[in-house]
Amino acid sequence: MNTKGIIVGAIVAIIAIGIILSYSSTPSETVNLDMGRTHGDVSTAMGSPILGDPSAPITIVEFGDYQCSACYNWFHEHKPAIYENYIATGKANLVFVDLAILGRDSLTAAQASYCAEDQGMYWEYHDLLYNSQESKIDNGWANSERLKAFAFSLGLDMDLFESCLDSGKYTKRVQYNISEAKKHGAQATPTFIIVGPDNQQKQFQGGQPYSVFKKIMDNMI
Amino acid sequence: MLFGLLILSEFIFIEPYLVGQIPKGTELGFLLIIILSGLSALVLPMNVFRINILKNSKGKIGGSVFGSFIGAAAGACSCGPIGFAIISTFGSVGATSMAFLTNYEIPIRITAIGLLVIIYFTTVKSLKVECKLKPE
Repeated sequence: MNTKGIIVGAIVAIIAIGIILSYSSTPSETVNLDMGRTHGDVSTAMGSPILGDPSAPITIVEFGDYQCSACYNWFHEHKPAIYENYIATGKANLVFVDLAILGRDSLTAAQASYCAEDQGMYWEYHDLLYNSQESKIDNGWANSERLKAFAFSLGLDMDLFESCLDSGKYTKRVQYNISEAKKHGAQATPTFIIVGPDNQQKQFQGGQPYSVFKKIMDNMI
Repeated sequence: MLFGLLILSEFIFIEPYLVGQIPKGTELGFLLIIILSGLSALVLPMNVFRINILKNSKGKIGGSVFGSFIGAAAGACSCGPIGFAIISTFGSVGATSMAFLTNYEIPIRITAIGLLVIIYFTTVKSLKVECKLKPE
């Protein structure tokens, strides 16, 4: 028997077992991301799940920050009408892509939203963050403890949520989203890109009124 | 200045359409911008006049420019392009300073208005003295 062959075979077997184990050891941290998901020329693969009908002819891509007051105003004043008239009716859907730059807690809040997504509660958590936003940046309203408290109030599995948030599991995902936003020239939060049926795109900055969205989307349909 | 501040504070948008809004809870900020712009429009030309025509001290124009600038800076929301550019250029230091300006936007604007009011009254007082016609 060739001793050298046995040793090489054993090493190859150990490496193979190691690779298999590394892929199967943490089933709770598996994320189902569609890495090829794009809307127009925007890669939304690392962004939020799609709000509304994924096959809707129009997609609204929102680049936002959970500590941004203009995003807060848009969320409360204009998004409800857009949701009611376009998203709920299947004419449009919405994807949120983090442009978390306003403060240190912005990054943590964005990561926490994906930890909530792990448990199927992304949009509930997203809405809770915008409903709980306080006017001051980094004053503690979105620190790690508060983010965990928000998760608790939604009834999420706290062991899973805390391990996700504390491990920084989604740090790179949020960074990817920020770089994607910057790549597309987003220079303010919120910035919107509305992608139409023929992939025509309209980009603009600021938490603009419902009438602006209506005009653009009605022209696209 | 008024138009610029209203754009910076996202009360007016010019792209893709010219449209305006006053979101709930931002009425005070809107009012302070109007007052600040009005005072700047009053105080700055008065002090330019003092310097150009009367060749007088430049101290007050420094104060009025400072007051207008600080008030305007407080209006530049960190969410907007200026805040974004500062944060992108200066990183966490820029983010901290923009957060300060955003967090204390209203008190800063009120202080700037106070400064402009003081400068207005002292300028009016000194102009009354300096422009007084001497009896022949």
